[in-house]
Amino acid sequence: MTEVVVTGLGAVTCHGDGAAALWEAMLAAAARPPDRPRDPLGHMDLRLMHLVPGVDAAERAGRFAITAAAEAIEDAGLDAEPPPARTAVVVGSCMGEVGVRERGRGPETGDAWNPAFRIAARVGDRIGAYGSNVSVASACAAGGFSVSVGADMIRCGEADVVLAGGSDAYSRVALACFNRLGSVDPVRCRPFDRDRRGTVFAEGAGMLVLESARHAARRGARAYARIAGIGWSCDAYHPTAPEPSGRQIARAMTEALGGDARLGCVIPHATGTPRGDVVESRALSAALGEHLAEVPLYSLKALIGHTGGAAAALALCAATMVLRHRVVPPNVRLGAQDPECAVRLPQDAPARLDRPRVLVNGSAFGGNNAALVLEEAA
Amino acid sequence: MTGLGTAVPGVAHPADLLEPGPPAGRDDPAARLTGRGMRYRDRATRLALCAGRDALAAAGLPAGPERAIDGAEIGVVTSTNLGNVDTVCETVTRIAEETYLGTSPMSLPATASNVVASWVAISYGLRGANLTLCNGPTSGLDAVHWARLLITAGRVRAVLVVGVEPVNPPVRHLAGDERALLDGAAALVVESAASARDRGVPALAAIGPYARKGSCPQAIAEVRHGLEAPIGLWCVPEHRMPIAPPGLDDAVTCDLSATLGGCSGALGVLQSVAAASWLGAGGTGMALTTAGAGEQADDDAAAALILSPVGR
Repeated sequence: MTEVVVTGLGAVTCHGDGAAALWEAMLAAAARPPDRPRDPLGHMDLRLMHLVPGVDAAERAGRFAITAAAEAIEDAGLDAEPPPARTAVVVGSCMGEVGVRERGRGPETGDAWNPAFRIAARVGDRIGAYGSNVSVASACAAGGFSVSVGADMIRCGEADVVLAGGSDAYSRVALACFNRLGSVDPVRCRPFDRDRRGTVFAEGAGMLVLESARHAARRGARAYARIAGIGWSCDAYHPTAPEPSGRQIARAMTEALGGDARLGCVIPHATGTPRGDVVESRALSAALGEHLAEVPLYSLKALIGHTGGAAAALALCAATMVLRHRVVPPNVRLGAQDPECAVRLPQDAPARLDRPRVLVNGSAFGGNNAALVLEEAA
Repeated sequence: MTGLGTAVPGVAHPADLLEPGPPAGRDDPAARLTGRGMRYRDRATRLALCAGRDALAAAGLPAGPERAIDGAEIGVVTSTNLGNVDTVCETVTRIAEETYLGTSPMSLPATASNVVASWVAISYGLRGANLTLCNGPTSGLDAVHWARLLITAGRVRAVLVVGVEPVNPPVRHLAGDERALLDGAAALVVESAASARDRGVPALAAIGPYARKGSCPQAIAEVRHGLEAPIGLWCVPEHRMPIAPPGLDDAVTCDLSATLGGCSGALGVLQSVAAASWLGAGGTGMALTTAGAGEQADDDAAAALILSPVGR
């Protein structure tokens, strides 16, 4: 099978622009308190969300994606010339560019047809990518599906280079819905914490440059990581709640692991919802067996919040940096770990990555599950 | 393709899509589904469930413990550009008027973009890969292509592809013009030829070359490159090309946008269902499906897909 490698990264989070800013925040392990978005119509009790600082634009999700894409392109050394002719773009999003629609149709937005799922088109337009352009809308797992789709495009010969990732921005609808469900944590995003009350959404974008190992070698590009396994599944159980046994989440992980459950790190989906974290812990136990006890989890959402359709893409950016630096950053400190979540969450200091192999999970409403394993590139 | 289904007013059977004029009758296909759970499903989901159920049954894969292929090996790929716009707009209004407490917890799942694919999976026990594409005019043909790719990549054994677009006031408002719009869905089941053979199920059509390009002529040229068999049926895109590409003069044309209204993300799936019906009924030659005009109509792409007869 064609080997697919990661040769460029771009990230935008509440800690600022750039993968380097994200890595620095990961090493510091200091969570920011959530912001209170300015939204006169955002009538809800817990209007809490991590915002990307310094951006005052109506089309925020597109802006984040373009910023992350430009960084990834430059990081991959593809910025000096127009991108290769068969460069594809795949962008996942939960809500799309919904902010404009939520603001209403006044003079600011005009009456033009304004589809929400146009982020991939904007990215392709901006970087001049003439290959396929795909919008994936698999809710909060969209970033994981996007990178998987991008890898498949390379494997089936549809593209030479794929810019794949996810992006999401403030959405009144999403945040109000989670308020209505009672699933917003009033303190911060606290996955696996005994006192967690729900998630805290966040803005952000993560983009990765994918290409075949042969294509990367031919142009002399260094590969940060290789995609060693991908697994997809669907709970087919409930529109919002995870299936209690976690069987399908475990199935996606098992497929991605490809028969080798030994890992150096896991970046779980773990959003901080009371039930979701327990189900994922059980699924990890089922998929990793005895190896779960020894593998450290890195809980990214405790640091940057839940970035929706960007979450798994940002987790893959983080996993790539873990492999590149051979370091597992410390988790944001927990109050007390939930005994029902029997996972290992080192919190004291950065640790050496024992095995250059990282599992990333993404799950979503509707029970959409995507798991990917990244390994150090040869 | 081993199973087809439609949920389009006035279209009783998939082959009716080939009729030259608009379908007669305005029956609501969503009324075919009943049950307590239906009350809280959004319009797009109900239409998709109708078409999906029929396609699964036609392929010999109805939901149930005796299904020939385990649900874990059947995926769902949904194409819709406007699917949950109504729920999102309704939620925006409720929050503005009554705060978040005015929103209904029962409708909240439909604010997530993947609601249609999720309900199809939940309703019919399909636990394989679950993907939602919102890809503009080409989205339906992209979905058929991705179904084939999921199977060839070994992720699943079969895929239920659904293309759906609802019509309601928010959609009408956002579409911004008075043209007719499709309020319906189409579905098809894709599996490998070996799987169909093993199950003893007749295949209606084989999925051939696919291309997504900057313009429709480019996409057509790419999928026809090296093909010798003539095109017998051409399902044209919504914005018809001023000059037909060479070699298509003798093809029967099928313009679903003219008969059903603007089909957006459902068009490619409807075309594939129509083309498979045509091939299954003994149509001569291959079928060419095309969606999106690309640069000719300010779309960002155009797609083309060839469907060919099986065993003839």
